[in-house]
Amino acid sequence: MIRKTFNIPDMTCTNCAMKLESLEDILDGVKEINASYHKLQMVIEYDESKLTEEQIIAAVKKKGYQAVPA
Amino acid sequence: MSFKKQKPTFDPVILVALGIGLITMSVVMLALQNQSNQTFAIGAGTGLSGRIWIAFITGLTTGGLSCLAVQGGLLASSLAHQIEQDYLQTTSQHVRQISKRAKSVKLNKPTQPQRTNTALPIFLFLVAKLITYTLLGILLGWAGSFLTLSPLTRAFLMIAIGIFMVGNALRMFNAHPIFRYFNIEPPKFITRYIRRTAKGTDTFTPLFLGALTVFIPCGVTQAMMAAALATGSPLTGAAMMFAFTLGASPVFFILAYLTTEIGARLEKYFMRFVAVVVLIFGLVTLDGGLNLMGSPYSFTNLTRGLTNTASASSQTSASVSTTDLTLMVRNDGYFPRLTRAAANKDLTLHLITDKTYSCARDLYIPALGFYQLLPETGTVQVDIPAQPSGTQMFFSCSMGMYTGMIIFE
Repeated sequence: MIRKTFNIPDMTCTNCAMKLESLEDILDGVKEINASYHKLQMVIEYDESKLTEEQIIAAVKKKGYQAVPA
Repeated sequence: MSFKKQKPTFDPVILVALGIGLITMSVVMLALQNQSNQTFAIGAGTGLSGRIWIAFITGLTTGGLSCLAVQGGLLASSLAHQIEQDYLQTTSQHVRQISKRAKSVKLNKPTQPQRTNTALPIFLFLVAKLITYTLLGILLGWAGSFLTLSPLTRAFLMIAIGIFMVGNALRMFNAHPIFRYFNIEPPKFITRYIRRTAKGTDTFTPLFLGALTVFIPCGVTQAMMAAALATGSPLTGAAMMFAFTLGASPVFFILAYLTTEIGARLEKYFMRFVAVVVLIFGLVTLDGGLNLMGSPYSFTNLTRGLTNTASASSQTSASVSTTDLTLMVRNDGYFPRLTRAAANKDLTLHLITDKTYSCARDLYIPALGFYQLLPETGTVQVDIPAQPSGTQMFFSCSMGMYTGMIIFE
């Protein structure tokens, strides 16, 4: 398991954080996602053998946001 | 919002019918309110109806927009589920094939269901929201009944609410990162629970999700909850939250439809509009709080000085030499708004009401600690001890909306 932080500069409210956390249920290999609107960040804990950083960025983009590794 | 990923086929008849139903309810409420008060000003209602009126207008103007921004995700979940159900009924085999293909990143959902009834989930969502917030209003009003709020406490509460609303508006404008903290983040376990529940089945889902919105109130709703708490009455609290949620429902309904149809392009314009309206309401609330405190620095009191310089003769009474002052307490405020009185003399202030039903009856004079609900018709005398020359004595209604001032010279 690896823990990574991404900056999500285009979050506009707490609902955005909820939407990003819903990736927990969509992406295989994710243990936990904690997104914060206050910090404009998303911390994701995942199995790097099942998921890559690029896949995470792509999934976030699908949700309508830009993820930048912190 | 995740609406943009869904392009549902609406049942226009049901959608329009339900939308019209909600709007009609709102219009009926407006009409009833208008009938019961001879004047149409926001603050012209009696204590209860005035508050309900303000709550309704707040919901109608800002509540729907603001709530949709925060709670839209839940509604989207309801709609997504409905869309998915309809799709599964017609193309279940195709869905299974797509699921196999997108096993690793399951983001490629079916995009075009054949026929989807999204009006019903929206309606159920809003009904559940209405009921839950009304129950919350009872709870808040009941909790508030244990707190005896003096006008000064209420003033501080109003100032806090005003700052909260202005902060939220500035957050929406993205003025500074610090303003993001004006948006309260619900605890993770709640958001996680809500998200997991959104995967439920049948019509229970939108009902339940609508009820769960109580845990993720938007900034305007949070301000209204504080106002419901301040009422100190379960009935008034419930009525306020009901009126607010009812007012927000048509806007919520229409925007949910528009957002689903048009996509996120318009969202930023909605948010800017919301920000402007919330900012105005926040400043008005802040001003009301300062008025209630008797502060000379409220916008009303600061501009009163400027106005009176220009037209002092028309707005002030010429009673400087007498020891009796008369103040007419009318439905639309206090007249004269500015009274000049003799300094260093004991005075008697005669407060005259004549079929006065508005909150102007609920008069507060902070400097004297005078706070009384005046009779609808009659005269109340207030003894004012001698005041040094130059003293400015502010007074207002209990909501800080109608104001006036006595200058001693």
